[in-house]
Parts: sequence; structure tokens; C-alpha cells
Amino acid sequence: MLIELKNIIKNYENGDVVTKVLRGINLSVDEGEFVAIMGPSGSGKSTLMHTIGFLDRPTSGEYLFDGENTEGFNDDELARIRNDRIGFVFQSFNLLPRTSVLDNVILPLLYSGSKTNYESRAKKALEAVGLGERLHFMSNQISGGQKQRVAIARALVCDPKVIFADEPTGNLDSKSGHIVMNILEKLNNEGRTIILVTHDKQVALHANRIVTISDGEIISDVLVPESDRVHSKEIEEDLDI
Amino acid sequence: MNNIYIKQAIRGIKSNPSRTLLTTLGIMIGIGTVILVLSAGEGFKSYINSQVEAYGTNTVIVQTSIPSSTKARSSGSSNEPNNSAANAVPVMTLKTRDIEDIKQISNVKNAYGASVGQQIVTYKGISKTSLIFGAHAARFDIDKGVIAKGRGYNEQEDKSLAQVAVLGSKIATDLFGDSDPLGELVRIGNNNFKVIGVYESKGGFGPMNEDEQVFIPVTTLQKKIQGIDYLIYSVVELIDNKKADATSLDIADVLRSNHYITDPARDDFKVQTQKESLSTFDTILKAVTFLLIAIASISLIVGGVGVMNIMYVVVTERIGEIGLKKALGARAKDILYEFMIEAVLLTVIGGIIGIIGGSFFAYIIAKFAQSTGLAWKFIVPIWGVVISVSVSMIIGIVFGVFPARNAARLDPIVALNRE
Repeated sequence: MLIELKNIIKNYENGDVVTKVLRGINLSVDEGEFVAIMGPSGSGKSTLMHTIGFLDRPTSGEYLFDGENTEGFNDDELARIRNDRIGFVFQSFNLLPRTSVLDNVILPLLYSGSKTNYESRAKKALEAVGLGERLHFMSNQISGGQKQRVAIARALVCDPKVIFADEPTGNLDSKSGHIVMNILEKLNNEGRTIILVTHDKQVALHANRIVTISDGEIISDVLVPESDRVHSKEIEEDLDI
Repeated sequence: MNNIYIKQAIRGIKSNPSRTLLTTLGIMIGIGTVILVLSAGEGFKSYINSQVEAYGTNTVIVQTSIPSSTKARSSGSSNEPNNSAANAVPVMTLKTRDIEDIKQISNVKNAYGASVGQQIVTYKGISKTSLIFGAHAARFDIDKGVIAKGRGYNEQEDKSLAQVAVLGSKIATDLFGDSDPLGELVRIGNNNFKVIGVYESKGGFGPMNEDEQVFIPVTTLQKKIQGIDYLIYSVVELIDNKKADATSLDIADVLRSNHYITDPARDDFKVQTQKESLSTFDTILKAVTFLLIAIASISLIVGGVGVMNIMYVVVTERIGEIGLKKALGARAKDILYEFMIEAVLLTVIGGIIGIIGGSFFAYIIAKFAQSTGLAWKFIVPIWGVVISVSVSMIIGIVFGVFPARNAARLDPIVALNRE
């Protein structure tokens, strides 16, 4: 079991007002799964992803990651997990401005403490998302779809166990969206665990399991029959901006 | 690993060059002022050195001085021997005979005594108030001044109260314009003096500017103008400058014996070696330099606060970026170092521009001083540059640490969501 959440509760306190965002989540994800977390906005799906992704700590509950109880981990240990066991892909890409594509992908490697092969590893990751020819473009000189692919390469570069994608197609046109989903599918086929947060059913149907959350609770957790799954076709590389 | 911090910091600075420049303005002005002060100080020192050397390179100066025990009784204050020339009561004990005796000391090559007085100098209706400098003829052998035209007076002329004068370059042009002063008669007080020589310009300024003085035999000055028989000071030229301290003691012995002094506390003179006169000057210069640097430091502190301000703004601006970096695995320490280095780079850039600017102004001052004929060298002391750069780095660290800590402490999710 890669991820095991037991009765995770997350409350936000603002003065005397306590907002219960997650109300006792129990969820297990195996290695190699492609899970979509669905739910309307405000349902707590993003908070859940942030909690699973160690960007946020739960108020209470137990979280076992790769068999380890993470409760007592300090900030530096969490940073280390975020660095080499987890990759993030955000809706708004979050690339560093005024920085080349290659340097954006190198960034997590720099924080990893390993000192070798930054460039070749970053190049390999960019080739995996079909951007091997765009290494020295600045992050603002490429299209939205390409930006998201750079972000995926950045998530991949430290060879993480799991990739979290928060509405990865939310800011993209449908064609770019298909390219991005196709890449995520390929990564999953290669055995990487993907956890996708979306409110779009068509996007969610790329996954093999859909977890639906509402008001901070899981209301359904179903496997997607192979016949219902959507597969984005590989689209010809289109590097025109 | 360090490379990344520097790279990220440079990226931050490049993101807004004009703001970077404005932010570092305070540091620039502060460091620029420090460099300017240090450089001008060095230049001034080089000028003073050249002025002191103009008295002759291996000389000792004997000044008359009110005995400290007497003074202690009258004023009750310091023990510093007082220059009698600056005092209401002249010390009247230094005589030509003393100079002759000093000349007998083994390490003494030559010596002259001098007296000065202010007089109106007139030629064909043009009058100038000038310092009349009376000295023994030996002055022309000891002093480094060059006579451009004519000659100096000799010992015989001094002893015979000859009414001859050598003019400083400026008073010569003031009185005579383009015409040749040699052989002409100028009126000094109530006597006519024949001009026998004119000095080359020495390039001085202030009340002691030798270019504006008139040089006449000291005995003539004493007897015919001032009506006195004593000297104000004496310049003694040494054979071996290394023995200056020992020779100073010999000179003191001679003067004490001549003036019937047994207790050194009652000395009516002060013997000052060149090293001593330079060190006195050095002390004053250092005090002034420190004062100016203290003032410049205020600008440095203000500059540091400016950098701190901007770093707080930058942290707020880049909250999203900080969140992202943390999501990618940056530790608090990594973020702290990135911002610290950015602050240090800001101040060091300011420091370097300040050094260049300060040196530039110091160069202009030096050129200006040289153009007025002063022997002023353009020097930027390396230690000043090193200290300035170090100080800017320290300011960067001190004023960068608080904003950087704020940035490092940000919660990754809070930072990410705030974008």
C-alpha cells in the first residue's frame, strides 16, 4: 500500500469559527493506480490532495506513506518527501518566470541534494513529455499546453512514486488538454501512481478509479470499468506557438 | 549546492533592474562617501608629505615654546608645549648664537633660524600685505624651493643687514605683472629692498602660502623692521636622518645649556623631528576621517533599511514562488539562503557602484587639486575597498535576515494558495 489515510480530519480555524474541511477520510491507494478525486468546488478535494501531498498537515488522523507513519515528520523531512517521492502538477503551471524550460525542470534536482547529472536528467524528463527541442526557451515563450508539459517533466525529474495533478487541464484548450492527459496515462502505464483532482467527469474517466468527495467526506469510491474509460490519443507533436 | 542560491538570487535581482538600482542607492551613497573620504584623505596626506618634505627631507624643527611649568601655573591645563608664535607672550630666548652652536653638533649638516612678520609691500603704488619671512642664508641650501630668476642672499648679506629680497612667485606677479622684478626696489615697511630673486611657484594655499611671501635676511628683518634679536623657529638639516631622535636630544642639550635650563620641564623650545610632525598631522587626519566615515555610516544604515524594506516587498511579491519551491522540496533553509544572498548581492552591487562613484569623485578632486598646483596624488586605498565591500555584505546579511526568515517560514500551501 502506497498511501493509507485513516480518519483524516482537517479543520481551519479562523478566530472562533472552525470550518471542518475534511471530516474523517479513509482512503488507500496502491502503487500503480490512477485515481481521480472528484467533487464540486468547496467539497474539500483540493485540501485532500494537499494533505496527501504533504503540502498541508491534517488536524488529526493517521497517514501512512509507503508504510511509514508520517505524523512525527518535521518540516525538513516533509520537504525531502515532497522532493523525491512526490511530483506536483498544478492548474496554473507555476513555472518560474524569466527562467529557461531546462532550468525549471532542474529546479527540484537542485533541492534534492544530489549533485550529478542535473542536465541529462532534466533533458530526459523533457523528452518524455515531448519537449526535448524546447530546452532553452524561456518559460514565457511557450504555449499553455507546453507549460503544463514542462510542469509534468518537472514533477517527473526526481523519479517520484506518485504524481499529484490538480486540475491539470483546467487552464488548457481541449487539444492541449488531450496531450497532457495522454502523457499522464502513459506515465501510469509505465507503472507510476497518479492522483488527479478534477471536477470534469470526462477528465476523471481517464483514471481507473474515481473517488467522489462532498462536504469533506468520501461519498463514493468506484473502479472505472475498462469499457467506460476515456483514452486520449497521442496527438502529433505540434511545436508551433 | 551554493550555486542554486546564487542563481536564484541573481534571477530575483534581474527581475526588476531599476528597482534594484533605487534600492541600493543608499548603499551606493554611503560606500561612495566612505571611499571619497578615504581617497581624499590619502590625497591630502600625499600633499602634506610633499609640503613637509619641502622643508628638506631630513630636517628637525626647533620651535620656541612657553615652558610648560610656567604655563601650568598660568592656565592650569595641558602639558602640551605651546608654540609661542601663536601666543601673546613671545619667547625671546632663541638667538642666532644658538643656531651657530647647533651647527657644531656632529650629525648636523646645516641650520637656519627664522622670524616672520606681516608688512605692507609696495611697488609703484601697488600695495600688498604680505608675510615677510626672515631667515639665515643657509635656508637656500636646505629648503627645496627653486629660485626661478636671480639668486638667494648669502651669509655676508645677512650679517651686513643688506636690504635684499627674494619674492614668492605670486607676490612677484601681483606687484610686477609681466615685467622683470630683478634689480627693482620694493618698499617693505619703511625700507627699500632690492629684489634679487624670484621663486618658482610651490603651489600652496592658505595663510602660509609661500608663493605670497617675501624672503629677506633674518638679521635685516630683526634689526631694521622688527627691532628684536630673537628667532621664532629654526630648521636643522641632518646628515643621517636615522639618528634624528638622538640628534634632537643633542640639540635640546645645547639649547638648555645656552638658556641656563636644568629642568626639562622648563624648556623654552620644542624639537620636532619630521616623523613627529607627520604623526601629529596623521592623528588629526585620522580623527577627521573617522568623523566623516561616521557620518557616511548613517547613510549606510539608511541604505540597509532600504534594502530590508524592499526585501519585505519582494518576499510578499514572490509568495507564490516560495510556495512552489517548497512544494518542489525546498527546505526552509534553502529559501532563507536564497533571500539572504539576494539581499547581500543587492548591497554588494550597491557597494561596488559606490566604490566606482566615490573613486570617480576622488579622482576629480585630485585633478582639481593638481590643476591648482598642489602635489596631490590620486590614491584609492585597497584596504578601504576591501572594508567597503565587507561592510556592504554585512549590511546585506544583517538587514536581509528578517525578510528572509519571513519567507522561509511560510507554509507551502498558504504560499501556493496566495498566488
